[in-house]
Amino acid sequence: MTGASASQKDYKTVIPGDVFALWVDRLGEQYTLTGPVGGGVTARFEDISRFAQMDLDYQSTMLPPGKRYLFEPAEEILSYDISGESNIPGNNRETGGKQQKISVNLPGLPAGRRALIGVHPCDVNAILYLDKVFLRGPYIDPFYTARRENTFIIALNCKSVTDLCFCHLLGAGPYLKARAGYDMLLTDMGRGKGFLVELVSEKARELFDIFSSGRPPEEKDLSAMREAEASLLKGFKKNLDMAGLQNALLSRPDHHALTETSDSRCLSCSNCVMVCPTCFCHNVREETGLSLSRGGKSRIKKIRRWDACQDISFAKVHGGNFRAKRHARLRQFVFHKLDYEGQLGTKGTVGCGRCIRWCPTGIDLTEIAMAMMK
Amino acid sequence: MIETEGNAKGASVPVKAIIRGVKNEAPGVRTFLIEKSGPPAQPPCLPAARPGQFNMLGYPGVGEAPISFSVLHPEKTTEGRNQKNQKNLFGHTVRAAGRVTGFLSGFVEGDEVFLRGPFGRGWPLEEARGKHLLLLTGGLGLAPLKPVIEMAPTLGASGVTLLHGAREPRDIIFKTELARWKSEGAIEIELTVDNPEDNPDKGQKQQPKIHSGLITELIRPLRIDPSETVAFICGPEIMMRFAARELLIKGMAGSGIYVSVERRMSCGTGHCGHCQIGPWFTCKDGPVFSYTQLKGLPDVIL
Repeated sequence: MTGASASQKDYKTVIPGDVFALWVDRLGEQYTLTGPVGGGVTARFEDISRFAQMDLDYQSTMLPPGKRYLFEPAEEILSYDISGESNIPGNNRETGGKQQKISVNLPGLPAGRRALIGVHPCDVNAILYLDKVFLRGPYIDPFYTARRENTFIIALNCKSVTDLCFCHLLGAGPYLKARAGYDMLLTDMGRGKGFLVELVSEKARELFDIFSSGRPPEEKDLSAMREAEASLLKGFKKNLDMAGLQNALLSRPDHHALTETSDSRCLSCSNCVMVCPTCFCHNVREETGLSLSRGGKSRIKKIRRWDACQDISFAKVHGGNFRAKRHARLRQFVFHKLDYEGQLGTKGTVGCGRCIRWCPTGIDLTEIAMAMMK
Repeated sequence: MIETEGNAKGASVPVKAIIRGVKNEAPGVRTFLIEKSGPPAQPPCLPAARPGQFNMLGYPGVGEAPISFSVLHPEKTTEGRNQKNQKNLFGHTVRAAGRVTGFLSGFVEGDEVFLRGPFGRGWPLEEARGKHLLLLTGGLGLAPLKPVIEMAPTLGASGVTLLHGAREPRDIIFKTELARWKSEGAIEIELTVDNPEDNPDKGQKQQPKIHSGLITELIRPLRIDPSETVAFICGPEIMMRFAARELLIKGMAGSGIYVSVERRMSCGTGHCGHCQIGPWFTCKDGPVFSYTQLKGLPDVIL
């Protein structure tokens, strides 16, 4: 078997960087291009018009690309139109409710096509986690499903490791091991050597029509990749026995490491949750139009917004609050990330380190877990 | 194509229903008999609902609240017996507690209500087959078990005992039903209240006798065979805690004790995350859990 046919079979090719850039620019004719701009640990995903606007050496972003673009921070999921004589229930003894004209409307599903370029392995794994929440039974979310179908994901193996990264402990990086659930995987082969491009999905094989302009990867390319990955793995600063945490944190729910951290430093600001690529919690509220008047027309919108377990009202019911204490709310975050594997069959963290980086008082869930396991 | 499982249809889209009957049960507590309008294929797919499941009941602009079914067998209720379309009738018992339930409580016959459901896992009725079924309820907690009592003869249980506690005699809901169940003799009933004074029904012979004290005091004298008993408990979480503990002391296993818990809910579909208890979602994994499932989890009073 020749190298060429072998690489054709596993859809790997090495493409010069400038050629790949031209292909991405042309992809912009069909897709909104969205990629990392800025750079360092405060890069951000933005809509771009040209490949050259991106900084593919970026290390991290504040908002995770998957959650940001697949699960909108605020979205209208339904609306009611009230027209004609609207009767408030309980007040309509004369009319028997017959004149109420309320219709339920569903907004159109999101249709725009977007290419998310340069998504790091941790963030791809976070998308696979969100898939479990929104796409797997008993109910699926139609908005997430539509966006997921319309989004073309080009993943990028990491080129550097930050002090706060711990994806290596979860198999979520720095090189992407998942072989499904996204479209393409890029590895930067270094200065002037182009990208090793792996076509993971059927869609990618269809769209990447310059596959044959590349050359099949040689053994030296693959060994260079292995070396790069090995050298990255040496750069991680954090270490924690992840497998040992399941049910172990749960057996120490009131450990002082948790209570002291929360009592002395946690502001319940919810930054950790907002920047978390796997946090899926949201609230649904009904917003009433101002023109709710007799004989007028009015629209009531049901809006869902990202919500956070750190908010004091998150677990509040009439007559009580199941997480009234601050440490109970921090515990919910830490345990949901590091312990409750039974919920979706995987840990709730991908090791991106965002919650640590964006915590105004530097609370680090891995340090809490480490202290709890001592 | 993105691979999906499950059912997207209708779970997040409310349907209109009409209030067909309203019954005052206790101060601030009303039972609403509701008829689903709209095409039959539209959810809620009744009568597929099981006892212990709930609907998200609401009204545009006000919001929604999760409320368990208290009527699934309208032909067995006084108010449902004379209704047409019995197949499409079901009921919810609501206490005017918060903003949404306060609004819902004002509904009168003929009003429209909007709902989604049924959601959640109901009572594990199959567990009662061949065993003694012990129902322990507090306050409004009797409502989600009312359909279980009404279908008791079909459960194949060797016996059914209901112990119900309330604050005062006037807070006891379903008085008509309690009297009927007692006269039918299919189940044993004991009632208790914190404060036995001011019983408006005093002296009425058909009413079951009302003890005074906590429900635990009714549980203690019970003679049960722990391995041949299954318990369904519903009430305030603190009441369920002490009721379950009495049963554990009697030798029952946590796996034979089921509780129905209340948590904040926004979606009902296992997405919004508000109702999480440890690894569970109350809306889709509950609201009925075995005691073993919840034992030891944080933020649980059990």
